[in-house]
Amino acid sequence: MANPATTEVVRPGSPRVRTTSRRSSSATRRRRTKALVYLAPALLIYTGFVIYPALNTIQLSFLDWDGVQAPTVVGLDNYAQIFQNPELYRSVLNALVLIVFFTVIPVAVGLVMTALLMGKVRRGMTFFRTVFFLPQVLPLVAVGITWRWLYAETGILNQFLSAIGLGSITRAWLGDYDLALYALGFIGTWVMSGLCMMLFLAGAQKIDPALYEAAKLDGAGPLRQHLSVTLPGVRPEITIASVITTIAALASFDLVFVTTDGGPANQTNVPALLVYRLAFTRGEVGTASALAIALTVLVVVFVTLIRRITREAS
Amino acid sequence: MNPRNRIAALAPVAATALLLAGCATSGSGENDSEPEPQEVSTEITDEDVNLVLAYVDDPPTPALVEGFEEEYPNVTIDAQQTDFGNYITSITRSMSSDDAPDLAQYNPGAMRSLIPAGEVLDLSAYYDGYGWDEAFPQASLDQLMSDDEAMQFATGSLYAAPGALSVLGVFYNKDILADAGIDAPPQSLAEFEEALAAVQDNGDQPMSVGGLEVGGFQLWNLLLNSTGDPQEYLDWVYGAPDSTIETDAAQQAAQTISDWVDEGYISPSANATADSDALAEFTAGEAAFLVTGNWSAAAIDDELGDAGGFFILPRDDADEPPVASGSSVAYSISSRTEHPDVAAAFLNYMSSAEAGQIAIDTGFMPVDTDAGAAAEGTLGEVAEAFAPVAENDNIVPFPDFAAPGMIDQLKAGIQGIISDQMEPDQFLASMQETWTSYHG
Repeated sequence: MANPATTEVVRPGSPRVRTTSRRSSSATRRRRTKALVYLAPALLIYTGFVIYPALNTIQLSFLDWDGVQAPTVVGLDNYAQIFQNPELYRSVLNALVLIVFFTVIPVAVGLVMTALLMGKVRRGMTFFRTVFFLPQVLPLVAVGITWRWLYAETGILNQFLSAIGLGSITRAWLGDYDLALYALGFIGTWVMSGLCMMLFLAGAQKIDPALYEAAKLDGAGPLRQHLSVTLPGVRPEITIASVITTIAALASFDLVFVTTDGGPANQTNVPALLVYRLAFTRGEVGTASALAIALTVLVVVFVTLIRRITREAS
Repeated sequence: MNPRNRIAALAPVAATALLLAGCATSGSGENDSEPEPQEVSTEITDEDVNLVLAYVDDPPTPALVEGFEEEYPNVTIDAQQTDFGNYITSITRSMSSDDAPDLAQYNPGAMRSLIPAGEVLDLSAYYDGYGWDEAFPQASLDQLMSDDEAMQFATGSLYAAPGALSVLGVFYNKDILADAGIDAPPQSLAEFEEALAAVQDNGDQPMSVGGLEVGGFQLWNLLLNSTGDPQEYLDWVYGAPDSTIETDAAQQAAQTISDWVDEGYISPSANATADSDALAEFTAGEAAFLVTGNWSAAAIDDELGDAGGFFILPRDDADEPPVASGSSVAYSISSRTEHPDVAAAFLNYMSSAEAGQIAIDTGFMPVDTDAGAAAEGTLGEVAEAFAPVAENDNIVPFPDFAAPGMIDQLKAGIQGIISDQMEPDQFLASMQETWTSYHG
């Protein structure tokens, strides 16, 4: 687009012919105003529903407030609680364990699936993609309830284990003190693997086929091709998948809420679940806000880490 | 913009917006006006009056509203239902807003902060005016009374009136018990244990327990009601100074659950069993006993028919009348209402024989113990078992009433006992810690 200051038609007899610079700045201002008008709806909604609540949460995290009566300022006490109260810091540790199940395993599974499906399967590709992506489409509440049945004492998983002679290890998996968190995490693996695979397949399809040909001419086998061509090619997708799934792990709420509700005996408590309980059933809005902020900081740290790692690798 | 940067920018937002988004800022709710000793009347206006009622439990509320409107044709009550989860999270805000409902279903946990804030009308004047000490069983009112700070209950002023009562007990499958050679429900804890053993020997699952939710600690509560000192328990739940739950009876009740897990009466999978799953197991005839309340009677009656029985575990001293946990569907009046007298007339209606019949018809226990004929079937059995409890004022509150967050300790503690990871002492200590941090 050409500079409006030079293309503006100067009408004969206009008194402002010589004031080019002033006209230019007023035109810029007009353009800015116009841009603001276009931005306003989105800006207002974003400010009102995202920025304002976020700042508000920060403010609340310094208060002792039950939600109704006048709050008192308690400074950093709410944050200190996160480190002192075992219930709170253990929930954060549980969330870190979930990252393994929500992020590390699904990314690995996604890469393997991509290697298996890339370039070989032509028929039924849509079918496979739909099947693997299905968990993403289902509401997590429905997923949670279904898995609760699968994991139940008489559920399909235990029926299968009994059928193959492993009847001795059957149990109500989500009710097992030591294994509930892993059982819960595995549901996350099931949900997230399809998403990772979809992202990687999409990324891999952008890779120039000539690269594979060149690799083949250099004597690279399928594994070498995957490691040297596909993997670098889908690096941006790996970053995106890791970021999305890490946030899902750290901020997980719905899945935990419907499957174990933090049980048995607080073994599967996660921060988001405690934020909800503290704010809405225990009337400790300040502590809840502090935990929410701590969770946010944790997410930022992890996202930054993931970006660092993938950048260094390139 | 680099897509990576954009994702990084969105991440914190996603987490912050998490759950607190939408909560309004800063504490409002300073006491607008300390309720003056008001002029109250037990006669209501004959002009047209519209009231708004916020409520959770579907039965019996609409039926009670309808019954009241029939008696007072000039009054229209607009009953607005909200599901439980949203109700307890939103009622504090709506009651302290300018368009507060005139009447609201009482919830002790959610309304704790509204009483000190002066948003719930003190009903003392109506209590005296209407003579509610005669009209309602005192045990049902105790749960609705508190001091100004809502720290200690069963003392101070009345803040709500009960429309219908609920009660906790044991449902049993008569067919499974008959197969095991037992003809009558157990009359003591010892007989209960004998029955569990007999059912197990006969190859059936003795108990169905919803340990994932409230079913586990309700069993503990039921055992404690049979063996513990009711006054000690009441003091603790109501927050009387220096009370404790670390008693021998409470310890023994928790130990009993642990023993029953060891014996196999309770499956270790109970920790993964929701209350609805436990009920489904019981109504499918897969377990002999289920601890729950009258709210499940209709479902049990539908599925098991005549085989569905109910009993309240008697006191270990058979001469004492039985004690049972229960609560009520109760209603409070907003301090902001323009028609407190009319709203109070609605509360007074709860003590009437008609309201009692409505409670029975909708599956609850009537407030008026003389009210109506007992229902038939399983619900009839519940009503029959409840009568001696109500007549002797032996309704006690549920233990989660004791402090905010107590329900988490109760659930987690019993789960710990079921999975053999927690000792009864630790369970009681964790509850006492929560109690002390709240009541001081």
